[in-house]
Amino acid sequence: MKFRFIFTVCAGILVVLLASSAAARVKMVSLPERGDVVIRLDNPAATLIEEERILALQKGLNRVDFSWKGVRIDPDSIRLTLLSHPDRVRLLNVSYPPDEAALVWEISSDGAWEEKIRVSYLLAGIDRLFAYKALADESETGVMLRGRMVLRNFSGEDFETARVISGVGAEMTVRSLHEETKRVLILGKNRIPIIKVWTFDAAVQPWDPDRVSGNVGIPVSYRFSNTAEAGLGTGELPAGKVRVFQQEAEQGSIFLGEDRIDGVPPGEKAEIRIGDSRDLLVTQHKTAEKRFNVKRNDKNRVVLYDQEEEIRAEIENFKKTPARLTLVEHIAGHWEMKAASFDYELRDAQTLVFEIDLDPGEKKTLNLHYVRRNIRP
Amino acid sequence: MKRPYWFIVLVLFWSCPAGAKIDLVSLPDRDSVQLTIYNSADLTLVRESRELTLQKGVNRMQFSWANTLIDPTSLEMLPRSGAGKIDVFDLSYPPRTENLGVWQIESSLGGKVPMQISYLTSGLSWRPFYIGTLSPNEQTLDLQGYVRVSNASGEDYENAQVRLIVGEVNLLDEIATLARRRHPYGSPVARPEADQIAYGQRAKAAFETVEAEMVRTTAMAAPKKIEKKGVSEYFLYTIEGTETIAHRWSKRLPSFRAGAVPVVNRYKYEEERFGDAVVRFLRIENDRKSGLGQTPVPAGELQVFRSLGEDRRLAFVGRSRFKYIPVGKEADLNLGPVENVRVEAVLMHQATGNYTFFKDGNISGWDEELGYRIQVKNRRPVAAAVEIVRNVGSPNWEIKLSGEYGEYTRVDADSVKFLLNTAPRSEAEFTYTLTIHHGKRAE
Repeated sequence: MKFRFIFTVCAGILVVLLASSAAARVKMVSLPERGDVVIRLDNPAATLIEEERILALQKGLNRVDFSWKGVRIDPDSIRLTLLSHPDRVRLLNVSYPPDEAALVWEISSDGAWEEKIRVSYLLAGIDRLFAYKALADESETGVMLRGRMVLRNFSGEDFETARVISGVGAEMTVRSLHEETKRVLILGKNRIPIIKVWTFDAAVQPWDPDRVSGNVGIPVSYRFSNTAEAGLGTGELPAGKVRVFQQEAEQGSIFLGEDRIDGVPPGEKAEIRIGDSRDLLVTQHKTAEKRFNVKRNDKNRVVLYDQEEEIRAEIENFKKTPARLTLVEHIAGHWEMKAASFDYELRDAQTLVFEIDLDPGEKKTLNLHYVRRNIRP
Repeated sequence: MKRPYWFIVLVLFWSCPAGAKIDLVSLPDRDSVQLTIYNSADLTLVRESRELTLQKGVNRMQFSWANTLIDPTSLEMLPRSGAGKIDVFDLSYPPRTENLGVWQIESSLGGKVPMQISYLTSGLSWRPFYIGTLSPNEQTLDLQGYVRVSNASGEDYENAQVRLIVGEVNLLDEIATLARRRHPYGSPVARPEADQIAYGQRAKAAFETVEAEMVRTTAMAAPKKIEKKGVSEYFLYTIEGTETIAHRWSKRLPSFRAGAVPVVNRYKYEEERFGDAVVRFLRIENDRKSGLGQTPVPAGELQVFRSLGEDRRLAFVGRSRFKYIPVGKEADLNLGPVENVRVEAVLMHQATGNYTFFKDGNISGWDEELGYRIQVKNRRPVAAAVEIVRNVGSPNWEIKLSGEYGEYTRVDADSVKFLLNTAPRSEAEFTYTLTIHHGKRAE
């Protein structure tokens, strides 16, 4: 299953012959060798191929056949650039023969010479993915990061040698055959600082783990920055799957988990969720709820009220190491804090973020006392 | 019982024009293999060492994995020596082949080089299970933990170091699904049906057969120590020495034994959770004074027996599927409903009063009074702690208690708990009256 571009170059006299017998088009003359080929993958929406060839042009009208049977070229995207004699060689028209994946360029040349051309087109069925491997050190303060590009070629076309521009890292030369998948290293950083974070979100996690039949875990992530200080920051880290391992003394490594990152522009932070911790436990209860300032309409229906609420969250660290828990609470609408046993930051008007440090084996209690104002039932 | 259909064939074709095979070297046996088996997902990390003979220049190495459940996207090869002199620079999955990868390795060294090949596979699994024996007075539990390791991966693992991971890893894709893809990373061309190789039938059949065979083939191995340590958020159990686990076989290994774990027999009653029944729980604490507390206890099933004390006879008490127990945490193991401890909650008195009115004469608020009688009957020959949770259904209430109500706790805004320690073959009774405020009376 080989698919090839076929170039046929015909001198002007031949054109007349062909025109008289459209159904039996003669495809002959020389097959120009493929020169420099660039596979440009920097736009994930489409892959652009640019390939150069040398055509032996005759003086006068030349016809060049370009066909792509079995190759997933977008015919509307095909462009021809004349490189050697742009002022003396002109593309006159492009025609598409019936029932064929092909086109014919009519080129007028002022002389008989070799013309370097570049054919550009969008090719479907060929793309790239990015995959990362992160190896955390034993203290979980840094990772070794390897980024790989996976070139998937199901386009119908073989590229014996091509320069690949992925938009990440330096360009590289590869051989890529139809139905071949190739994984190439494009990024290697030996130590990128990370922060390990545990996150309990009261809107996501169950409040009382004892009442849940399955295991309840608190999501654990590694946070890192795409910055020069972190050893990165030179470009966007493209979206892809990250598999995280951890180094063990003399034992190799273990697999910690995997996550997908979105593209991380320079200067931005990203989080990789590795798994769940079952050794941090948050048990939360609403301990008081009382309405007041109740307003009623003429029909005695409640139209507006305030409500006082109290929340108690018990946080336990059963680990042998300290941990900083990010605890996220949500209070809807208009509210006023009366007392909070820990400081918090507002992520938005209704989201409170507490950072709570826990020593090994330590238990802390977060108490919140707040009033929600002007609730309309 | 070595199976013929799993192999790793590794071939070298080196420093040559593309495709020209100059030499062929058969793969030496594995020097060692390490299995790290997860129990939260169908996932095993395999790490094997092999000594390969490299030539100076570019070496191409072919690796194939037909009829296994290897995730080809996870394949890694690393030299274990010659750092900086050996560069594994790409891995390609050649066209029109299946289950085959070719590494290109550039080496400035010639000769034997130890290499490490690692990958993720599915089909190996392990699960913990427990057997507990209560003392005749039911105050202590002889707790034995086991692990059972099963192999349905399509591969025989001989003399493998076996490590088990306790913990919940985040996974985006099932390894078995990745293993069954026709193309390792899928294809940008949509052919959803054609993109899966039909291994499913074989793998499923293998699993079914394994389940059927386990009963016959499971046998107690010679007791080995299991070393346990924490790694990140997980616990790693390393089984002493090596194990040979053939395809479709499983092994049972003792994990720990704690001879006299103090237990509290707690009987719980909560209408909203358990209906009319009283459910028996065994409370244990994963701490050192219990003879535990070294590591978390992974989730599993516990079968509880009671020693009758005479002639080492046993009675079956019940079974409990329990959750992960962190170090230092107590856990209530649910043994199911019992008949010989009963709790009866009866509404004995109901009244309303303290009405308030709007100007138009309609009711704006009132109080509701509910009087309950709780009777607790312990028909067992041993003491029993009975925990009764009552849910009020409103945050605006007051309570009056009388009788033998034990230890009273307000759990949260609308529920309360009573804890009664009852003597063997005894009864207790108490009453409580709730005053619940409604409408304006609640403001």
